[in-house]
Amino acid sequence: MRIGPVELERRPTPSWNWVLTVSALAILLALALAAVIFWSYGVSPLRAYAVIIRGTLLNARALPEIVRNMIPLLLAGVGLVLAFRALFWNIGAEGQILLGATAATWVALFSPVPDGWKLPVMFLAGFIGGAAWGLIPALLRLRFAVNEVISTLMMNYIAVYLVSWLIHGPWKGPEMRGFAFTDAFPEAAQIPVIPGTRIHWLTLLLGIALAIAVAFLLKRTRAGFEIRVQGENADAARYAGIDPARTLLLVMIVAGGAAGLAGVGEVAGIHRRLLDPNQISLGFGYAAIIVAWLARGSPLAVVLTSLFLGIVFASGDVMRVALQMPARVTDVFNGLILFCLIGSERLLYWRVRWAGHP
Amino acid sequence: MMEEWIIHTIVRGLALGTPLIWAALGEVYAERSGVVNLGVEGMMVLGAIAAFALAQSTGLPYLGLLVAAGAGAAAAMLHAVLVISLRANQYVSGLALTMFGLGLSALLGRRWEGLPLLATLPEISLLTYGGLALAIVLWFVLYHTRWGILIRSAGEAPAAVDTMGVNVFLVRYLAVAFGGALAGVGGGLLSVAYRPSWTEGMTVGLGWIAIAIAIFASWDPLRAVAGAFFFGALFHLSFRLQTWISPEPLQMMPFAFTILVLALTTRRGRGAQGAPEALGLPYVRGER
Amino acid sequence: MRWLKAMLVIVLIFTFATAGLAQAKLKVGFIYVGPIGDYGWTHAHDQARKIAQSKLPIETLYVESVPEAQAEPFIEKLIQQGAKVVLTTSFGFMDGTLAMAKRYPNIIFGHASGFKRNPNMFTYMADFYQIYYLNGLMAGALSKSGKIAYVGAFPIPEVKRHLGAFALGVRAVNPRATVHVRWLFSWFDPAKAKEATEALIAEGADVFAFTEDSPTVVQVAGKKGLPSFGHYSPMQRFGPQTVVSGQLVHWETIYMDFLSKVLAGKYTADNLQNVDYWWLLAEKAVEVGGEFGTAINPAFTSKLQAVRVRTADLGQLSVYDLVMRRHAQMSRKPVAFDPFTGPIRDRKGRMVVPAGKTMSILELNTMEWAAPGIVGPWPKEP
Repeated sequence: MRIGPVELERRPTPSWNWVLTVSALAILLALALAAVIFWSYGVSPLRAYAVIIRGTLLNARALPEIVRNMIPLLLAGVGLVLAFRALFWNIGAEGQILLGATAATWVALFSPVPDGWKLPVMFLAGFIGGAAWGLIPALLRLRFAVNEVISTLMMNYIAVYLVSWLIHGPWKGPEMRGFAFTDAFPEAAQIPVIPGTRIHWLTLLLGIALAIAVAFLLKRTRAGFEIRVQGENADAARYAGIDPARTLLLVMIVAGGAAGLAGVGEVAGIHRRLLDPNQISLGFGYAAIIVAWLARGSPLAVVLTSLFLGIVFASGDVMRVALQMPARVTDVFNGLILFCLIGSERLLYWRVRWAGHP
Repeated sequence: MMEEWIIHTIVRGLALGTPLIWAALGEVYAERSGVVNLGVEGMMVLGAIAAFALAQSTGLPYLGLLVAAGAGAAAAMLHAVLVISLRANQYVSGLALTMFGLGLSALLGRRWEGLPLLATLPEISLLTYGGLALAIVLWFVLYHTRWGILIRSAGEAPAAVDTMGVNVFLVRYLAVAFGGALAGVGGGLLSVAYRPSWTEGMTVGLGWIAIAIAIFASWDPLRAVAGAFFFGALFHLSFRLQTWISPEPLQMMPFAFTILVLALTTRRGRGAQGAPEALGLPYVRGER
Repeated sequence: MRWLKAMLVIVLIFTFATAGLAQAKLKVGFIYVGPIGDYGWTHAHDQARKIAQSKLPIETLYVESVPEAQAEPFIEKLIQQGAKVVLTTSFGFMDGTLAMAKRYPNIIFGHASGFKRNPNMFTYMADFYQIYYLNGLMAGALSKSGKIAYVGAFPIPEVKRHLGAFALGVRAVNPRATVHVRWLFSWFDPAKAKEATEALIAEGADVFAFTEDSPTVVQVAGKKGLPSFGHYSPMQRFGPQTVVSGQLVHWETIYMDFLSKVLAGKYTADNLQNVDYWWLLAEKAVEVGGEFGTAINPAFTSKLQAVRVRTADLGQLSVYDLVMRRHAQMSRKPVAFDPFTGPIRDRKGRMVVPAGKTMSILELNTMEWAAPGIVGPWPKEP
């Protein structure tokens, strides 16, 4: 099909080159639209973008925070990539993060695990906690045909109130003088950070390892093959004798567990205690959905997309401080970027050529 | 004593249920046509600021609700274009809409913060009865009219609609826009009737509850009314019962209850979870 | 592809060409936990910031809606913007503020409602307990059913202290009255606040006080014509005939006091280890009333004058006069009256404040017990 000087033809699978180009163009479009917001606040859009770029990409001190934000997004995002591949719409990463955090807190503060073993057991417990929380909606769907959007959503609320009960009640520590916090984790239960930053690098390595492991699972194992077929064509899967229950359970164990690991990282690497649930999950569970979608089904790409989202959040922070703009501006800004990226998805399946090329 | 409890709880169920009914009915129709819209929170909050601003400046709350419907529909159209024509992922688009709606409403609503609304509606108003009546009408339309068959078919077997010579995209666009309009009214009811004031983010997650109610109701308008009402009643009870039961488990109660009821009552057979077969899947002509 | 590279170069040039200029005034950064439009805690801090900025030679920056665990990166950014004083306005910012105070010993830090300090970090708080006592006196007089309602946010010492003072005031006027509490577990949630209030109305409560960042309780009570006490911001406008009084704050008294001392060189980044503002009525950091300048809504004056009560130290007088006298006593320095003066037993009958003693600031800040008359769930009751 020809539109003016440009020739369009379909392509079934886009190359990464093309994906990046289209995405970059979409972001530029979003930035152009967002210029309206800056202009309405009396800030010159060009100056605004200069400030943002200076504050994020060109600022060495901004990088640590970007990576800090990337860690939970990476972990939860990898899990969600798997879940979405199986067409299980897990909106419950927030709750799974919280259960991972809770399990880790129990190990850190209330279990007889010796110091040297605390961190590994915390990660294990967190994985199990998150996996259990993710398994419940999976079982509800398999056994009772309950739609997972509603069950995972409800589980989020229940998780929030569970943590709330713990920090206001049995687990409230005397250290914080009656405020709703547990006591601080002992040193052995704290994930070390890169000095001068808040990057709890152990969790970061874990995330990268998980991305590689899940990529391997999907591409090279039978289980992964079953998951992919189940997601792409349920009928074909049935004819091939693939058990949908088994694939779903496996997927949700990994997805819930990954989010649980993110929760461990937050609570043992950043806060070093259990606190108000909204402060732990900080919307990462929802942002991870976006991270997973941007990765277009590739667990390895989640490393990049979580970094990207970290940069987007960082730019929002710069807007609020350097440009003194209201906090909600970042929601509009991020929403615009998302809309443009979402809208550009269709373009990925077309190839654009200059018709006048020799 | 018991009657007072029952009557009072029914009244509270209707009070919080009214905005929830409107939003949930809208989501029922949108999803019936095959389009998941997770942006209800964003549409509701946009409706809330639109209704408040209009009611505050003109003194006409019903006009405010009308404009709120328009705001919700406009927001829904954004989602519709992305997921219907551009075939984007419906879940992510809805999330983006929620984010965008919360942000935009907060920015627009700055100058309306901290002001009491004089032109309010009672929390159980014409719109409560209107909502119930609407549910009956929507139920009838859905199951007993041609329009309803088209909407349901767009959600179950869009190719069939195509062969009937009707434009699937148009049906879905209309259903989504309609859903947005109702969500806008629901949000407007929050800021004009239920809690007549504006603060950013005042929907506090009720949009998500509306989505849950639509799913809980197996996408049936009458069951959605029951679900909205029960949620309102349970939500209220979680405070009423604090005298006897510890607050934290009480707060979990409405949500745990929802899952429990679903687990015990969802019927198998109609799609994997009772959902419209084509829910969440973009329609591509000629591909199915 | 070439034009993309060209654009990149242009952007880079532009980025550096627009670097900011140096500034002369003292830059003060504020970190808020909520939105400035919340008409509650954050709104009050922001109003105070504006007042301080208009009266002192300072330039202020603020960041709103900062999650409590994210204090550090925002403090970092404020410092990068040139802030020499950073004020964080929520308890949850405490550890983050302290960590940054240690990392930047030349920057001055202030933390509201906390207890950890550093040579360059002070703490400050404007507390309402005296105001709540006065509100309690009024509530006790106005309640016909003897059941008074309190919608509480979180069961932490700050709210428990306010509830306790309120209940002590209520009981001072009506020794058989009860204060019914419901917990929201949220600082801002209009739906929860509304349903909690409705639940309390159904139980027969007819006077309402609360801790929540919105006028919802006032509106709900007002719709049934029931009196209420505004919280944190002037809420009389939400119930001109039903808001009796309330609690109001003037954070600017603290901000201006501290910042002018910084400007004068009296407070530096080395001598703040023991600076802790615990400012109350006497320092004019808080005010009783539903509207600035109106301690008691005139619509209720005659009702309060009609109820008489006998007291141990002031004899027999009307509740109106009692409120005024207690207000004067608590506005003096040193105070001539404190609600938390023993003997006080908690609702379980345990002696929590012995006779002749007054609760210390530390005890007030770690209070978990429930005053007599309080009815309802009380997490972590000792």
